[in-house]
Amino acid sequence: MFTRSDDKITSTQASIFLTNSVLGSGILTLPRGVVEIVQTPDVWLSVLLGGLVVLGVIFVMVKLSQQFPGLTVYQYARLIVGKVPGGLLCSILILYYLVIAGFEARVLAEIMGFFLLEGTPSYAVVIPFIWVSTYLVFGGINSIARVFQIIIPISIFVLVIAYGFSLHLFEINNLRPLLSEGIVPVVKGLKSTILIYSGCEVIMTLVGHMESPGEAMKAMTVGIGIPALIYLSTVIVVIGGLTVDAVMRSTWPTIDLMRTFEITGLFFERFEFPFLVIWIMQMFCNFSSFFFNASLGITQIFKVSRTWAILGIIPVVFIITMIPKRINDVFNLGNDIGYASIIIFFLVPCLLSLIYIIRKKGLKQNV
Amino acid sequence: MYKHIRKLIIVLTTIVPLLTGCWSSKEIEELSIYAGVAIDAARPTEQEQKFVEKGSKSFQKKDEITITLQVVPVKSFGSKTKTDSGQARQFNNVTLSGNSVLELMRQYSIWRDRPVIGHHLKIIVISNDALKKYKIGQLTDFVLRDNDIRPSALLFLSEGDAKDTLLTKNPGEIPAFKIQDMTQNTFRTNKILEGFNLTQLDQHENSKQSFMLQNIISANEHIEFSGAGIIKGSTGYWIGNLTQDEVATINLINGSTKGGLIKTYNKDGKQIVYEIKDLKSKMRCTVKGDDISYHVEIKSEGRLIENWDDKENFSEIKDQEEAEKILEKQVMKMIKSVMKKTQKVYQADVIGFQKCISIKNPKMWKKVKDNWDEVYANIPVDFDVKLTITDFGASTE
Repeated sequence: MFTRSDDKITSTQASIFLTNSVLGSGILTLPRGVVEIVQTPDVWLSVLLGGLVVLGVIFVMVKLSQQFPGLTVYQYARLIVGKVPGGLLCSILILYYLVIAGFEARVLAEIMGFFLLEGTPSYAVVIPFIWVSTYLVFGGINSIARVFQIIIPISIFVLVIAYGFSLHLFEINNLRPLLSEGIVPVVKGLKSTILIYSGCEVIMTLVGHMESPGEAMKAMTVGIGIPALIYLSTVIVVIGGLTVDAVMRSTWPTIDLMRTFEITGLFFERFEFPFLVIWIMQMFCNFSSFFFNASLGITQIFKVSRTWAILGIIPVVFIITMIPKRINDVFNLGNDIGYASIIIFFLVPCLLSLIYIIRKKGLKQNV
Repeated sequence: MYKHIRKLIIVLTTIVPLLTGCWSSKEIEELSIYAGVAIDAARPTEQEQKFVEKGSKSFQKKDEITITLQVVPVKSFGSKTKTDSGQARQFNNVTLSGNSVLELMRQYSIWRDRPVIGHHLKIIVISNDALKKYKIGQLTDFVLRDNDIRPSALLFLSEGDAKDTLLTKNPGEIPAFKIQDMTQNTFRTNKILEGFNLTQLDQHENSKQSFMLQNIISANEHIEFSGAGIIKGSTGYWIGNLTQDEVATINLINGSTKGGLIKTYNKDGKQIVYEIKDLKSKMRCTVKGDDISYHVEIKSEGRLIENWDDKENFSEIKDQEEAEKILEKQVMKMIKSVMKKTQKVYQADVIGFQKCISIKNPKMWKKVKDNWDEVYANIPVDFDVKLTITDFGASTE
């Protein structure tokens, strides 16, 4: 009963799948990235606004995918624009997934090397990480969704506890004044807040795997709502606890927030360690999601067997992980991924929808 | 059969690398955990001078600062340091000189067998002398960057040698922990400041606003929290001290008083002591054109707890109101002297007036924030103090 081979997931699983694809390393650097651009405590407004914009993006992706029930973007892209252009578009998407996966593993290695396992070479951290993920991806979307279902409550629980204890540092005055420089910096901040939602492109494969694609919009709204809420509380708690000035001088503001207090008399005195350890699981989910999506794409476009697609990805991801030399390169890669996500949005779901509408409505073709 | 053996060999060989143990694990017994750091202007110890005489040489070494690490607990450092009472001390202070904080931490490793680790650093004490020569940002740059040292560590200043604040005569007491815990006593006295952690330092480093740090003085291996030192935001140097009473007054002005007392003398010169039960301070700032002015309203409720004048009886409301008036007058006097000191003598807003203007009038704040201390020096501030004696304790007489 529990072993399914039909590659279908429930609506709840789809929501959690999306949440886990979006929620990854972004939470660790998010406050600084946005504060640097906005420069005022209104950062949380940017995050909120970013969430709303992304909701629009999701709407486009879901609507497009719903036209082709049971098919993923890799399959319907060629139906819309033809074999070669479709394959080309999807190859860009696959490359994008591979880079995010590599980035995720790299951030993990950086944090592990700095806070947890100083002296352990990053390959020793990254390789087992990729192996375990490989094992999971071999299980297909069902197994992945199940693992996600198990992990997400744990990581949210630890996150809430850690934020809860940090509240005694929280001072509402640190978040004031509201809109001191008007709405302009808030809109500017969108540039970096949209980046944190990158990864939502997985929707275009998720909807095709849903048992009831009709519920897709609802499921995806919930799926993006959870990370949006977490991001929002992150910036509020971090800026309220550390002040804008301190956030600007911190490389990992969220971890620094937890490093700023000690709880005496509790089982854990310091919260950065439980938080980091649990967040590694979250990053694992994030990584696995992109790993899976990339391997699925390769299988469906290039007609390679799944085994070879997955095994072939391993070295590619590993190399991408090892490419950035300095930490600046890592952060820049993160920014570039964000910009790429915007380009990909216009290139894949937007373009495909446009052509689909033209062909269907304008040329009355049967796609 | 052979097929199975091959599988077994593959499995076993892949497991072997996992058996080597934890990669970057270090046994905690083999490390020196330091709980306190004291930074002084350079004065090499006798020991160091002897090393130099015997041929210790480093071309890189230039003595600018002396740091003292308080290592806890001392378990088997050969001979234990004994105090007068004969009980073993719970800590070991090691003093090193040089010109880079990290270099000195690493220098420790050519003196002792257990390298230091900063996970449990609780306090950093910097002497005023060192902060006259070097900026606070320079002296603390390493601790802000380090991955082991947590930003929860607290920062203090010391009049006199900082390394002396890490001493104690009580066996079994660890000065670093004691100093950390003493910051919790704000509910009993308003003469001390709440702990100032490294994140707050980060914040002031970025905003370039002046701030004050708890000052510690030491004598005969005992310490006292005595007033506060002012760090000028624009330069990062120490510029002067505030007395204990001035700190108490600042705590009244910005409302961070959680307990403590106000003492004054009546017309016969006898002491009247008022214990603060509750205190609220409301700061209002008004901007007219280019002029900023402040109005501070301090309201407090408390208990008349000590009276040395046997002729007076405070059970009558009339007498209580009279006492309130004398106390209010005393508070006003204290406030005036503090305002003069911060505005005219030091020109540094350590009280926190900047918060009001930055929240209420961000446009004005943007104009003045770069030279706020100079602007602050000429801002008119008027005070409204209202003390209410709500009760007179368990004795009516």
